[in-house]
Amino acid sequence: MTNRTQFDYELEELKLSLIKMGDLVIKNIHLSLKSFIEMNSDLANKIIKDDKIVNQFEYDIEKDCMRIILKEQPVARDLRLITSVLKMITDLERIGDHAADISKLTVFMEKNNKPYLVPQVNKMVDESEKMIKMALESFVNQDQNIALKVIDNDDIVDDYFTEIQHLVAEAIRQDNIDADYAIYLMMAAKYLERIGDHAVNIAEWVIFSIVGHHRN
Amino acid sequence: MENSVFTISNLNLHYGTFQALNNINIDIEKNKVTALIGPSGCGKSTFLRCLNRMNDQNDKCKISGNVLYHSEDVYQKNYDVISLRTKVGMVFQKPNPFPMTIFDNVAYGPRCQGLKNKNQLYKIVESSLKKAALWEEVKDRLKESAMGLSGGQQQRLCIARAIAMEPEVILMDEPTSALDPIATLKIEELINDLKKNYAIVIVTHSMQQAARISDNTAFFLSGELIEYNQTDVVFTAPKESKTEDYITGRFG
Repeated sequence: MTNRTQFDYELEELKLSLIKMGDLVIKNIHLSLKSFIEMNSDLANKIIKDDKIVNQFEYDIEKDCMRIILKEQPVARDLRLITSVLKMITDLERIGDHAADISKLTVFMEKNNKPYLVPQVNKMVDESEKMIKMALESFVNQDQNIALKVIDNDDIVDDYFTEIQHLVAEAIRQDNIDADYAIYLMMAAKYLERIGDHAVNIAEWVIFSIVGHHRN
Repeated sequence: MENSVFTISNLNLHYGTFQALNNINIDIEKNKVTALIGPSGCGKSTFLRCLNRMNDQNDKCKISGNVLYHSEDVYQKNYDVISLRTKVGMVFQKPNPFPMTIFDNVAYGPRCQGLKNKNQLYKIVESSLKKAALWEEVKDRLKESAMGLSGGQQQRLCIARAIAMEPEVILMDEPTSALDPIATLKIEELINDLKKNYAIVIVTHSMQQAARISDNTAFFLSGELIEYNQTDVVFTAPKESKTEDYITGRFG
């Protein structure tokens, strides 16, 4: 077996960087919702600041991909893997942006005395985090089945969003929710729903890297 | 296939007891560049040489199966090999100009065919050198020795020499492996230009070259044709794991 030791090492390093970026993004989503629920502006500001690290990850990984393409001139599965990484980091960066967006809502809200908490938001964040983790796991293990499961799971997130929409509408009708809070809650839910979509995109790129065509 | 110039079916070739090609089935399309890739000794050059019967000189070489050029088997008895080689030209790895003038190199083939008219010969030489993208560089020294040209120019001269016979197919066996990057680029651009008029079959050891210049790629391994497909398919999502292992450099 011919070895491409250096190339294989660089591909492993690339995967590792992607996982690190993914872990940071997952952490940021988790904390952004915590800041929202607890109306913790300090925590929110920290996440907004940490988003720069996510952006730096994207920049560094992009640079690594271009260097590998230049040096190793990858073809076939290697080319697909690097192309997928280049696409996936865009989605991860967007997810990071949405975590920062949710944190910005927290900062805007300041101390709202009448938060209206619905458990579906927590469930949404749990499910989104799970989807990103699974998408990255499917990439590292090149496991198409896990990637397909991520795509299926998006329906769960979408259903939670619809439930929250109905709950908030009802709360408005009953005059149980602060008007500003209702808007911010729906915006946070929408960001979480978009995060689910980005996780699906990542899973689709994983499938591309495995089978060579993009799922429509 | 409708656009095929060559249709090869069940082609087997033995050098003595060694089987160099094993049941090859492939179509060569016109106005396309077909790249043959594979490790040394895989049979790609042997296959290339079957297309204009260049293996005939080897007594130990035994061939079975069909090599159809426009539906006619080139290995049938009494087939006109001379005429085949005017229609199916060849360019080799190392530029091999004849030790004569630039003009005489290109005029050699037509003269062998009996053409003596100087005007006609000049026209053929000029148009062949133009098609080979060499005219501008040599038009003022056609009477100088071809041996004084650079390697890249010599190779383009060999292409002009092949073109002078008005072939339909040009076979190239690693035509740029002895050339520097600039000369290589010129030949590659020339190949891209030539495919408007000819079918080109090229053996190359450079994956990047195959990916850059060819429309179809055939991967040979141990005398077998492992995969034959459009080049972009072969280099992005090959169907066979052996192809993928070879082109990604994880082979053995």
